[in-house]
Amino acid sequence: MDFELSEDQHALVSALQAILEDHSQIPQSARFDSHWCDTDLQAQLEDMGFLDAAREIGGLEGALVVYETARVIGAVETIGRGLVAPIACPGLELSGPVALARRDGLHLAIRNLPIARMLLIEDGADVLVLDLADGVVEPVETILAYPYGRFAAPPVLDDARRFVGAGEAMRKWWRVGLAAEIAGAASAAIDFTVDYVRTRKAFGRPIGAFQSVQHRLVQRHGYAKAAYYLAMRAAWSGTASDAQVAACHAQSGLKELLFDLHQFNGGMGMTNEHLLHFWIYRARALQAEAGGPTRAALAIAAARWDDGLSEPEERHLSMARS
Amino acid sequence: MLEELQRLEPFRAEVRGWLAANLPSDWRRRMLGASEADHVAFQEWWFGKLMAAGYGAPHWPAEWGGSGFSFAQQIVLYEEIARAGAPRLIHYFVALHHVPGTLLHWGTHAQRERHLPAVLSGKEIWCQGFSEPNAGSDLASLRTRAVRDGDHYVVNGQKTWSSNAHHAQFCLLLARTDPAASKSRGISYFILDMKTPGITLRPIKQMTGASHFNEIFLDDVRIPAENLVGPENEGWKVAQSTLSSERGLSILELAERMKQGFALLLADARVPGPDGVPYDDAETRRRLVDIHVRIEALRVLVNNQLGAVLRGEALGVAPSIVKLYYSDLLRDFTRLGASIRGIESQHLEDVLMGGPNETGYWMQDYLYSWAWTISGGSSEIQRNIIAERGLGLPREPAAA
Ligand SMILES: Cc1cc2nc3c(=O)[nH]c(=O)nc-3n(C[C@H](O)[C@H](O)[C@H](O)COP(=O)(O)OP(=O)(O)OC[C@H]3O[C@@H](n4cnc5c(N)ncnc54)[C@H](O)[C@@H]3O)c2cc1C
Repeated sequence: MDFELSEDQHALVSALQAILEDHSQIPQSARFDSHWCDTDLQAQLEDMGFLDAAREIGGLEGALVVYETARVIGAVETIGRGLVAPIACPGLELSGPVALARRDGLHLAIRNLPIARMLLIEDGADVLVLDLADGVVEPVETILAYPYGRFAAPPVLDDARRFVGAGEAMRKWWRVGLAAEIAGAASAAIDFTVDYVRTRKAFGRPIGAFQSVQHRLVQRHGYAKAAYYLAMRAAWSGTASDAQVAACHAQSGLKELLFDLHQFNGGMGMTNEHLLHFWIYRARALQAEAGGPTRAALAIAAARWDDGLSEPEERHLSMARS
Repeated sequence: MLEELQRLEPFRAEVRGWLAANLPSDWRRRMLGASEADHVAFQEWWFGKLMAAGYGAPHWPAEWGGSGFSFAQQIVLYEEIARAGAPRLIHYFVALHHVPGTLLHWGTHAQRERHLPAVLSGKEIWCQGFSEPNAGSDLASLRTRAVRDGDHYVVNGQKTWSSNAHHAQFCLLLARTDPAASKSRGISYFILDMKTPGITLRPIKQMTGASHFNEIFLDDVRIPAENLVGPENEGWKVAQSTLSSERGLSILELAERMKQGFALLLADARVPGPDGVPYDDAETRRRLVDIHVRIEALRVLVNNQLGAVLRGEALGVAPSIVKLYYSDLLRDFTRLGASIRGIESQHLEDVLMGGPNETGYWMQDYLYSWAWTISGGSSEIQRNIIAERGLGLPREPAAA
């Protein structure tokens, strides 16, 4: 398949982009912070129904919303509210940000927990849904580009609602969301850097005229494009294996991406006067949540090849040598 | 695109059935280490079979003897050919792609009538004479001269890296007709009959041991003026048609073949080593997944390019992105092949003639993968193109 958007999808993306354009600036007061939640945008996405796209239209539309919003400077929560919860927990009433965690990770700092109304907990085959009362979450000081929080005391799960058999869907759409959000952050960071190297001059010419800069940016651009298409393919097909591939690929290119983009922004890239870090730390945080490229790769190997390292679809081949 | 392909499921079944019935199951055994003569004979035979079934020239228009298939049909056909692991029609590559891509756009009616049916008969082999010892990436600096002399052009100079020239009857030749004009302006494009007096061929031995390309020396070679393709001094434009014709569906075929070739790599990782343990450790698994994931990424990039073609959109730098991605990946893929079983996989084995780029004879595959980052516009040139035309970065300053 290819990933040209349908007319309706185009309309959705254009409408969304028109709104996002009004959120491309960071307020002066937040300029030097390590993260900034765009609460206005979060509310707008909620009110205008963009976060219901996955449930009302489909997973691909939900993933498009995640991707596009990941490109803006302010952080918004879209994976939980816009993708995982609506698909994995049908019928669950949703309003406001949704944080995501694993049952064995409830003692850790959890992304978006301070702004979330609800926490989805992956519990093996099932999903637990916990409403978050005021005061149970303590914010965690972090340089990562999202709000992080921790439970003040271990949460009591007795009252949590259980979605039996929803665990697999949660894992899958969480991966799709992480892949789409990493792809969005990566492409925004590349665009930001391309703009920078076009204008910043050294030795009498824009640094973007130097091949060593150009070629590495091209490599990173190829990675980000592939990451986008793989995330969209996974959202479209809804298969567990496509979701794994998308999440693994999105994480695998990050090491070079982070290094090169910082490098090409020079000393400025090391400061928080420059905006680059918003996307870079976003990608770092998402990668940490996804478990890292090695773990993702080994999980794919285990899922595909545990019955003796062979590809299921390819057994028909009589390509034996000699 | 998906719906279009779904409508073609009956066609897919037909092609698959035909391949199952007609592709000799032992062809790989027969072509492993085959002589040039056996290789050529087999390519001719297989091309004849494909032509008889209507699958030999899917991209050629029907009026010139091709199948006149829709683009979507061609996609299906190439996918199935790759999936079946059929031989690549490498012997006919220039004849089937570059020749129609050039002559259908720029050739005279007489040139088309003379050559296109002959190509489809399977008897006319072509080569490409563009590169020179001092003009590769910077092709427009080529120096081979063609001087008009009555109703002929007289050509002197040297070409190099000409694949399959030792089998070719004709050559697509670029030569300079106006040395005073700026680089790309004074070049003309010719059909060169390889039997013309004054042509000397020297095969070049490659590091894999095979001789796949040649030097061509041209001494007072007389080319009839009617063999000029396109207007005099506009050969550079004609050459762009030649070069873009190789960027069509061959990349889809290569991507699909790579997916098939991956099964061979897995098979090798499964075989126990000298200590009785399969090469199936965590590090190998991680590297295998890296290749697997990048093959999937390649396939989505290719599909997206094909989708744009189907919708009639301008391709922009998409072919460069795909070519770059493919050639980087092929190198890492075959490198893993050449290291996965330790020294066992590093012997230089026989060449699988007409095989894909991942034959499973890894050392051959690995060495040959280096050709892909050079030929058809090197990786550096592709990156320049993407940077300038795709990302809109400033052009490199011209040489002083
Ligand atoms: C297997 C194979 C088959 C071929 N078949 C044919 C054929 O049939 N007919 C034919 O005409 N030719 C053929 N070629 C030739 C091919 O087109 C040339 O090899 C290619 O254009 C590169 O030219 P070159 O080898 O002279 O390398 P060069 O141009 O000398 O390049 C050497 C290195 O310099 C780099 N470089 C050059 N310019 C730049 C730049 N501006 N910026 C950064 N780096 C740069 C290149 O990327 C490369 O890494 C074939 C080549 C191969 C490998």
